[in-house]
Amino acid sequence: LPMAFRDANARRHTGLQQLSSLALAGRTLLGPMKSYKFIVDESTNQSTLICSAARLIESLDLTSAAGQLLNETIQAQNKEFRTGISTLLFLVGAWSNAVLECLQQNVPVSAIVSVMSEGLNSCCERVQCLQISIHDVNKELCSSSVRPNAFKSKTCQIGCDTLLNPQIFLYVQKDISAPEEVIPVDSHSHQEDDSNFNERLLSPFASFGSIASLVNLTGNKSTSTISGSGVTASSCNKQKLTHSRYFSTLGKSHFSSQQGSFQGCLSGPSADPCECYGLGHLAMALSRGNQTSVKLLQRIVAYQRGKAECSGSSPFNIAGIVTCCLLGLPESYSCVSPGFVTLVSPEQATVIKYFEDKALRILLVDGDLTEQYRHLGFNRPCNVKTILEHPSLPGDRADLWLSSMLDILISFEVNLVLVKGNVCENLMERCIANSILVIGSVTRDVLCAFGEVTSAQPVTYLTQLNASCVGSGAQVGLWKACDGRAMDLGELVPVRIKVRGIPLLTAVLTTTVASKMQLIEDQFWTLAYRLHHALHDEKVLLGGGAAELLCLSHIQMLAEQPLQPANKNAMKKFHNPWLAASATEYTSVVLQALASGWKQYLSVVMCNTAKTASELEACTSVDHHLKKAAECGSPSAYILKEFRRGDLLGGGSGPFADHGDGLKVYDNVTAKTEAWRRALDLVLLVLQTDAEIITGPKRNQLLNSHVSSEFMFL
Amino acid sequence: MSRLEAKKPPLFISEPLTKDTFSQSLSLLNGILKSCYGPAGRLKQLHNGVGGYVCTTSQSSAILSRLSVSHPVLRVLTASVQNHISRFSDCGLFTAILCCSLIESFKKLNIASCTVIKISKHLLSLCMDYLNSEACGCRVSVDFSSLETLLCLVRSVLRSKPACMLSKPEVDHLTVLILKAFMFTVPCHVETNAVLGKCVIVPVKGRRVVDSTVLPGLLIETPEIQLAKPLTVKRSCSNMIKMALFCVSMSGDLFNPEEGTITVHHGISLEKSELNRLLNVGKQLVNDEVGLVVCQKVIHPSLKQYLKENHIMAVDRAGLSLMEPLSQMTGSKPIASIHLLSPSCYGSLKDVRIESFASKHFVHLIPNDTVVCSLILCNRNETAWDELKRACETAEHVLQLTIKEPLALLGGGCTETHLASYIRHKSCSLPTSSFKDLDCSRSQYQLVADGFCCSLESVACSLNHDDGEILTDMVYGHCWFVPSGFPSVSNCSDLVSKCGCGINGNTENLNWRLLQGQFGSPIIQGGPKEPSGKVADFLTLDCFAAKCSGLQVALETANLILDLSYVIEDQN
Repeated sequence: LPMAFRDANARRHTGLQQLSSLALAGRTLLGPMKSYKFIVDESTNQSTLICSAARLIESLDLTSAAGQLLNETIQAQNKEFRTGISTLLFLVGAWSNAVLECLQQNVPVSAIVSVMSEGLNSCCERVQCLQISIHDVNKELCSSSVRPNAFKSKTCQIGCDTLLNPQIFLYVQKDISAPEEVIPVDSHSHQEDDSNFNERLLSPFASFGSIASLVNLTGNKSTSTISGSGVTASSCNKQKLTHSRYFSTLGKSHFSSQQGSFQGCLSGPSADPCECYGLGHLAMALSRGNQTSVKLLQRIVAYQRGKAECSGSSPFNIAGIVTCCLLGLPESYSCVSPGFVTLVSPEQATVIKYFEDKALRILLVDGDLTEQYRHLGFNRPCNVKTILEHPSLPGDRADLWLSSMLDILISFEVNLVLVKGNVCENLMERCIANSILVIGSVTRDVLCAFGEVTSAQPVTYLTQLNASCVGSGAQVGLWKACDGRAMDLGELVPVRIKVRGIPLLTAVLTTTVASKMQLIEDQFWTLAYRLHHALHDEKVLLGGGAAELLCLSHIQMLAEQPLQPANKNAMKKFHNPWLAASATEYTSVVLQALASGWKQYLSVVMCNTAKTASELEACTSVDHHLKKAAECGSPSAYILKEFRRGDLLGGGSGPFADHGDGLKVYDNVTAKTEAWRRALDLVLLVLQTDAEIITGPKRNQLLNSHVSSEFMFL
Repeated sequence: MSRLEAKKPPLFISEPLTKDTFSQSLSLLNGILKSCYGPAGRLKQLHNGVGGYVCTTSQSSAILSRLSVSHPVLRVLTASVQNHISRFSDCGLFTAILCCSLIESFKKLNIASCTVIKISKHLLSLCMDYLNSEACGCRVSVDFSSLETLLCLVRSVLRSKPACMLSKPEVDHLTVLILKAFMFTVPCHVETNAVLGKCVIVPVKGRRVVDSTVLPGLLIETPEIQLAKPLTVKRSCSNMIKMALFCVSMSGDLFNPEEGTITVHHGISLEKSELNRLLNVGKQLVNDEVGLVVCQKVIHPSLKQYLKENHIMAVDRAGLSLMEPLSQMTGSKPIASIHLLSPSCYGSLKDVRIESFASKHFVHLIPNDTVVCSLILCNRNETAWDELKRACETAEHVLQLTIKEPLALLGGGCTETHLASYIRHKSCSLPTSSFKDLDCSRSQYQLVADGFCCSLESVACSLNHDDGEILTDMVYGHCWFVPSGFPSVSNCSDLVSKCGCGINGNTENLNWRLLQGQFGSPIIQGGPKEPSGKVADFLTLDCFAAKCSGLQVALETANLILDLSYVIEDQN
C-alpha cells in the first residue's frame, strides 16, 4: 500500500497545538487544591468522578499521533512514580505554547532544542541546593512539631475538610442533572481538521473559574471535547485549606498527631511521639493535605518500623501494603489492619465461624482452580478421542475431578486456599460444605507474603501437592471496624487473614460515596509512593513552589547575560557545529520560553488554591518574589529563608497570613525533575517532527476524504 | 457456478523516468529523506492514523521498512537501500539521498544514458581508488589501542539520531557503555578464525538513560514468584555449574501430529504419561548432576517443582533470541528432544545470580570466559527507547565493521565536499585517452562529473535544516555551517568556528565559498589538501565500510534506474 504523508506546518506546528489543547484539560488538576471533574461518556451515559491527571488522560481521545505520545509519556511517569503527572501534563501544555511563540519569532528549531534542553539540565543542577537529606528533614520536622498546639485532636474534621466537601458534591451533581447547562459540542467534525479541532478544544475553556469541569466523552470515533461549566458556586474555591504542601497553616491545622487519638486497630508504641512515628511527619510533609491517607500511612510506618528494627530492613516497604476498598462505611472508618483483608461472599464467611482462633493449614495456588485450567504455554491437544467402554452417567467426569480435588485438600488437612486466578464455583461450594475457605483473585505479592511466613510453596495444580507445600499458622476472622463491630456490607463480607509475623498490611479504605472509591484509593497510593520514592532518593526537594521559583530566577539570570564571555564559552561546549552555531543568537528568547512554563505553573497553582483571585495577580506576586530574590543577591538563600518562614508565594496576604512557623512541605526529587524532563522531551520530540506518515488501511480513507488535499501520496 | 473474468493485458509504460508522476514521487521521497538527515534532522511520526503505536524516527531503517512505496521504479531504489542497511546498518540516508540526487541530476543532462552510466562508473572508480589510497585526505585510521577514535565513531552515530532525545551527558554515558559492550564481545584468546560474540539488548523502558548498564553474560527475565529466597545452585566438582539447555517445549503438551486422531481408552491420560516422561528427564538431570536447566519455552510446573526439590534451578521462557548466545556462551548444545539426553550436550557456567532493575527481575548467567554481554538499555518513553535501540545496534555494527577495516571517514558533510572537490580537480586533469576509452567527449565527461559532484554536495547541504548557509573552503574542501540570521555579505571567517567534522578550526583564511551545488564550481588547484591538524578529541566520524558501500550502492542503483526503459505492470 502506498502511504499518506502530511507536512506539519512549520510556523503553526500542528502537533504542538494538539499537545497544548490536550493539556488544557488538566489545568484545574494542578496543585494541592484539585477540582474534581465528571467524565461523561455520551454513548453510554455513564460518568466517573476523577481528580487526577492520570485518570483524566484515560478518558481523553488520544488517537492523534501527538496525543498518543502524550499518553505514552504520562503512563511511563505514572508507572515509575505515581506522582508528578499533573505537573507533567501542565508543563507539556505550557512549553508547547512557549515553543509555538518561539517559532512565530522565527527562532530555528535546532536553537530551541539545544537551548531548552541545556537550560533544563542547568536548572536541575541548580535546584540541587534545595534538596535536603531525609535525615535532616526528619530532625527538623519532628522538632518543630512537638508543640502543644499541634496536638489538638479533631479527627472528625478529616472527612469534610480534606476530601470533597459534601456541599460541593451536591453542586456538582446538580451540574449533571441540569442538562441545559452542559454544552454538548458538535462531535461530527474530523480530527484531521486541525484548526477546527483546536477551536473546539479551546473555546469551552473560557471559564476556568469553575471548580468542576465536565469532560464529555463522545463516541469512539470523534474527538473528545471538554466543556467547562461555571455553575458551581465560586465560594467553594475559597474553602479553607487546612494543610497543604503549598500554603500551610499550622495554627489552623487540625491534624492530629497525638498518640491517643488514633482510633485505628493499631495502637502505637509508647515513647516520644516523634521517634515512634519516624517517617510520619515526612509523610505529612509530602501529602497534599490529604489527611486520611496521611493517617493511614503514619500507622503503616509505625508498624513497619517496629518490624524493620527487628530485621534491619528498610523502614518502609511498599510491597508489603495492599488496599481493600469497603463501600458503605463512613470515611472515618478507614484504618490499617495487619494481615490481608479481603471481601468474601456470605457463604464463604459462614466457614469462618469454625475457624475462630484456630491455626489453619494454608495452601497457595499460583493459577486458576478449575478443571480446564492448564499452565501458560500448554497447548491443548485437539485430536484426541476418548472411548468409554462402560457407559456412565453424564456429569460423572466433572464430578470425578471435584471429588478428587476435594480428597487431596482433605487428605492434607488444608483449611485455607488462596488462589491467584479464578475458582470453579462447584469446587467452592464443596469446599464450603467441608469447611475449607477458598479465596480467589489474590495478587502475587500477597501470595509471596503468605509463602514467606507460613513456608507454604505455591503450586499450580492440586495434584502437585505434597506435605512440604502446605503452610501452617494462618488465622482467619471477620474484619472488625475500629468500634469493634463486624461489618456486613450487604453482598460481601470483609474478612481478615493473618499469620504471626506476616510483613503484610492492609489499608482498609472506606467511603459511603461509590464514585469516590477509586479516587480515595488513587490518593492513598500516590502518597504511599511519594514516601517510597523520598526514602529511595534519600532526599527531598523543598516544596511549595520553591524549586520552580529558583528555576525561574536561575533562568532569568542566564537569559539576561547571554552574550557575556563566560556564557558564550558554555555554549561552545556543544561540540557539534550543526547545533552550536545558531544557539547563542536566540538564547535569551528561548530561555524566556522555558521560564514561562514554570511561571504559568506557579500562577495557576496559586489561582487553583484561591490564593490569588486571578492569574494576573498571581503573576505579579511571582514577579515580586523574583525581584526580591534578585535583589537579595543569592536567590537560593532568599527562597530558603522564605520557605523556612512558610511564606513562599502565599506570603503576606489573604486569610492565612496570621501564622508564624508554618508546616514545611516537600516534594520528591527524582519524580519532579523527571516530570520536567519528560514534559520537555515530549515537546521537543513533537517540535522536531515535521511530518506524519500514515500507513495501513487508513490511508485509503484519507485518499477519498475531503481532507485528501492536505496529504501527499507516494 | 463460478464466473471467469478475462485476464487484463499487462500495462506497458515506456520511458518511465520521463513521466511526471515519477519526478514528483522521486522529489517527495528525496524531500522526506533529506529532511531526516543529520543531528538536526527532522523527525517523522509513523503511525496507522487510528491511534496505534507511533514510531518517531529519523532513521532510514525504520522509515523504509514501514513506508510502502507504490511506484515500481522507486521500489527498486528503496529495496537496494534496504539491502545496504541490512548489511551495514549505517549510512542508509546517505545512500538514499545520494541515489535520488544522482537520478535527478543525471536525468537533467541531455546525454544518452549509456554514456552517462559509463562515465559515472569511471567516476566511482576514481572515488574508490582515492578512498582506498594512503593519500586520501578525508579518512583517518582507527587505532584500537586508544579509545578516542572509537568513542568518536560511536558518539557520531548516537548524535545523528535526534529522536533518541539524549542530552550530552547521556550521549557520553551510552557511548562508553556501547564501547564496553563491544569490548566484551571480542574474544580474549584469538585462534585462527576469531568470531565476535554478541551483545544482547535488554529493554528497561521508563527509566533514565543514565540508569543503563552493561553486564557480562546473559539476563533472562523471570517472574518474582519463582525466585526462591536463598539462591542455591548445585555445583559440580570443579566448582562450575553444569547446565542443560532445552529448545523443545517442556510444558507437557503432546507433540501435535498435524493430521489424524489419537484414540485412547477412558481412564488413560496422555497428559499424565507425557508428564511422567518429563519427570524421567528430570531424574536423569539429577543423576547427571546438572545444576541449572534453561528452557526456551515453558517447563511444566510439576517438573519445576521436582527440579527445585532436587536443588536444580529451572529457568523457562528464555525465548528464541537468547538461544544462540546462550549456547555460544555456555558451550551447551540445545536439546531438541526429551527422549534423548546425551551428556555431551551439557555446558558450564561460572555463576548464577539474581538481578533486579526497576520492577523487573532477572536471572543473571555468568560465564567463565565472556564473549556475550547484556546491555540493559533504558530510556524515558517507548518511542525514544525504540529509536535508541536501533541507534545502539547500528553503533555496535559500526564497531564490528571497523575492527575488520580499521578506517573511518570524516563526517559532518566533510567527506562529501572533499570528495566532490577531489573529483572536480581530477576530472579536468584526465588525459584524452581516457575519454576515448569511455567513448565520450571531454565536455560530456565534465557535465556528468559536475552532476556527480553536485549530488555529493547536495547530501552535505541536507545537513542544514534551519535556513543557514553551507560553505566549503578552497584548501581542504571541507564543509562549514553558518547559522541563519546573518547577512550573506558579511565576512565568512567571522561566522564559522569549525568545519562539519570538527578537524579544522577557523585559524587561517581558507577562502570560503557558498556551497549551493551549482554547476561550474571553482576547482582547487592541486586537489584538496589533507587537514594539517592532528586528530582532535571530538570529531564526527563515519563508518568507512558503510559509507564506501553506500556510495557504490547509490551510484549503481541510479545507473540501473537510468537504464530502465519499460515498466510492465501485471494488472490482474
